Amino acid sequence: MKILESQNAVLTNYEVYQHLMDRERMLKEKRRRGPGNLATLVKEVLAYLKTPPSPLVNQEKTHQYTADVVARLMARLNEANLNQDLAKGEILMILNIRPSSIAVLSTVIEDMEERFNDDEQQAILDSILEVLGHDEPAGGEEIKGEAAENGTS
Amino acid sequence: MFILTKVADLVQITPSDFKKSSIDAIHDNINAKYANKVIQKIGLCICLWDVLWASEGLIGHGTGLVNVNVEFRIVVFRPFKGEVLQGRITSGTQAGVHIRLDFFDDVFIPASDMPDEAVFEPSEGLWVWRDEDQTMYYDTHEMVRFQVLTEEWHDQTPTGPEGLIEEESGGRPIPPYRITGSMKGSGLGCCLWWDE
Repeated sequence: MKILESQNAVLTNYEVYQHLMDRERMLKEKRRRGPGNLATLVKEVLAYLKTPPSPLVNQEKTHQYTADVVARLMARLNEANLNQDLAKGEILMILNIRPSSIAVLSTVIEDMEERFNDDEQQAILDSILEVLGHDEPAGGEEIKGEAAENGTS
Repeated sequence: MFILTKVADLVQITPSDFKKSSIDAIHDNINAKYANKVIQKIGLCICLWDVLWASEGLIGHGTGLVNVNVEFRIVVFRPFKGEVLQGRITSGTQAGVHIRLDFFDDVFIPASDMPDEAVFEPSEGLWVWRDEDQTMYYDTHEMVRFQVLTEEWHDQTPTGPEGLIEEESGGRPIPPYRITGSMKGSGLGCCLWWDE
């Protein structure tokens, strides 16, 4: 074994989720079974990604995240003139966690109070809500999620 | 949280796998070898992402194994420093809080990185948040948000009969990869407290 490149790319949780789901689907089509250690791990990783408050909880039903979600979020943040101040890691965490309140957003963005004023913080939250959708605690999320989806596409 | 790592390795396909198509055999072989394994200073391998290049299959003398050199990319769990993750509390002790992600158990929040208002309640075996007028509990199995501070690597290559596996106090073997985190700061701690 030789490591050629320790970090070739960074993945969002959504990409990993999609890859694992595609793999499961392909195995089913081919009527094949992968190695046992992988099957266990895939089950656990998917369980983790589908545990609330992860944004992928209702992904199967609502499809809030799509292949171009990163581009859409960047475009939306650009429009609001906020994008240039956010680091790559911060965008990644926004996609993975999908903050729904200022308090959570402040964990994701370093020194948020100093870098963004109150209006800008709210603008970031609004962009997240618009592009990435939002899950209601119980029911009603589908309509809202789809509305957000249609609004941007 | 997840990264891609590019690896080159020799894949040996056994005759029992000849009924599979070559690419399936290579996929299964790599996944069986890497999935759920920690590579030191790289992270916890999850699964194969894609195969970039593969050589012709060569059969050596003496065995029926087909040897293929493969370059591939693999999905690895390796959160970066400062990343915020979600996990579940498994236990609380005087020393701190243990957290697990469904597929990864070794996250620890030391007492010094718990919020100043939080104290350990020995009678309950839980950490609690004490304010003037209210008490909130860090219950076991509660979803929490924490920030990654440092990572520790422990190579578990056997060193011979002398060096038996070291054990942490409490009889748990030292994990190969451990993350130390922090729950200090607004937005960190139980998810229920913060989400709107």
